Order: sequence, then structure tokens, then C-alpha cells
Amino acid sequence: MGSYDVIFYILSIVSLGAALGVIFFPSPIYSALMLAITMSGLAAMFFTLEAYFLAGVQLIVYAGAVVVLFVMVLMLFDLRKESQPFSGQKISNFFKAGIIAAASMALIIPLSTVFFIRTEKTKPVTTVDLAGTLFTKYVFAFEAIGILLLVVLVGALALAKSRGGTHE
Amino acid sequence: MSNALHVGLNHYLVVSSLLFMIGVAGVLVRKNVIVILMSIELMLNAVNLSFAAFSHFNQEPGGQVMVFFVMAIAAAEAAIGLAIAVAVYRKFNGIEIKLFENLKG
Repeated sequence: MGSYDVIFYILSIVSLGAALGVIFFPSPIYSALMLAITMSGLAAMFFTLEAYFLAGVQLIVYAGAVVVLFVMVLMLFDLRKESQPFSGQKISNFFKAGIIAAASMALIIPLSTVFFIRTEKTKPVTTVDLAGTLFTKYVFAFEAIGILLLVVLVGALALAKSRGGTHE
Repeated sequence: MSNALHVGLNHYLVVSSLLFMIGVAGVLVRKNVIVILMSIELMLNAVNLSFAAFSHFNQEPGGQVMVFFVMAIAAAEAAIGLAIAVAVYRKFNGIEIKLFENLKG
């Protein structure tokens, strides 16, 4: 077991533990902090996958912008103690989630051994490759994302201006 | 597959599917809309991790491009979801998912 493996196991334990913290802390503000830890752990995992630019974007967009957005919105709400943060039939829901998890693992692990073709390091994907692919092969999707973001901007403004409900 | 502890694509996929299932469990068991949105972000991040892992182990930049698109969609989704949550809070003075059943046209 090399240092790469040890780093992977530490990062996965931190990320999965923080993800469990997101769903088990009763107070949403602690969930937001745990979400920031999960995002940072995943950014470090992108580093181990040699996706350096992606790791930077993950830190800026998720650990920076999205988590700050969640915390800002939580600030607007009245953070009184929730009487019952978990929904009623908790045990059966966890049972269902466990069954889906086991089924997906049973599917993914054999499938990934089938599709796992290369193990030797030939040529890692660099940021230059990434930019070249993004602006040539996927340029139409890139433009579509731009239009989508414009629509989202207008929609968020419309939602923020409305007084809640369309009948007043 | 001589050494099961040696990290390969499978390990990343297992972590990714576990993270996805934690997200699904969060959506199922929580009542707070904000925490449900956070769980959705967890699921999107799990998908990002598997995209990046496939991209790395197949030396194919397309997977990383997909991660960019997923990040843009996820940020847009969080913004709209939180805007809806704020609107519902103003109307009903609470952010439980149960209140969303009162929404009509």
C-alpha cells in the first residue's frame, strides 16, 4: 500500500464521514459546515485524480460559492430548534436506502471490472486538453449552459421579487 | 486485481456510490428543505467524482468537461431552489418540505 493509497483512504473516510454529518446533524448550520468539509475532501480527491483545474473549480464554486449561498439563506430564516428534524418512518426509509445502496454496489463493482481497461499511466489529461475539448467538441453544450445560466438569473430575480404566491 | 487494497477505478466508484446513497438517504429522511438541497448537492458531487475517475483511468478529457457542466447546473439548481425556499418561508413562515404541498398555480 503506497502513500497514494493511504491518502485515498483518508480522504474517502473524511468525505463520507462529513457527508453522514450533513444528513445526521439536526441543526442545518452544522450540515452546511459538514457540506463544506465534504466538498473540500472531494476537491482533494480530484487532486489525486490529476484533475488539478477541476479541483480548483470545485473549491471555488462549491466550497466557496454554493456553501456560502446556503449559509446566507440559513441566516435569513429563524433558526429555532426543529421539533422533529427527521421525517416519520425513518427506519423504513433507511431500509429502502440501504437496499438501493446494496443493489447499486452489486451492479457497479462487476461492471467497473468489465469496463476498466487501462491501468498504466500513459498520458494524464491536462488542463490544455480539457480546454481544447471544451471549446471544440462540446462548444454547443457550452453555449447552451450559458443560455441556461441567463434563464436561471432571470428566474431567480422573478422569484425574489414575487411576494410568494401568484394571486396577490 | 491481485491486491484489493491498491487503489483503482473501482475504489473511486465505490466511494462515489456510497456518497450518492448518503445523498439519497438525506433526501428521504430530512424534513428541512435546505438540508434536502444539500443532499442533492451531495448526489451531484458523487456523480462528479465518478466522472473524474473515469476520465483519469481512461485518459479521456470528456469526463472532466461533463464535470464542468454538472457544476454549472448544480450552482443554478441551488440558486433557484434556495430562492423558492425563501419564497415559501415568506408565505408560510417555515421551511419544512410538508409546506410545499400547499403550493398551487
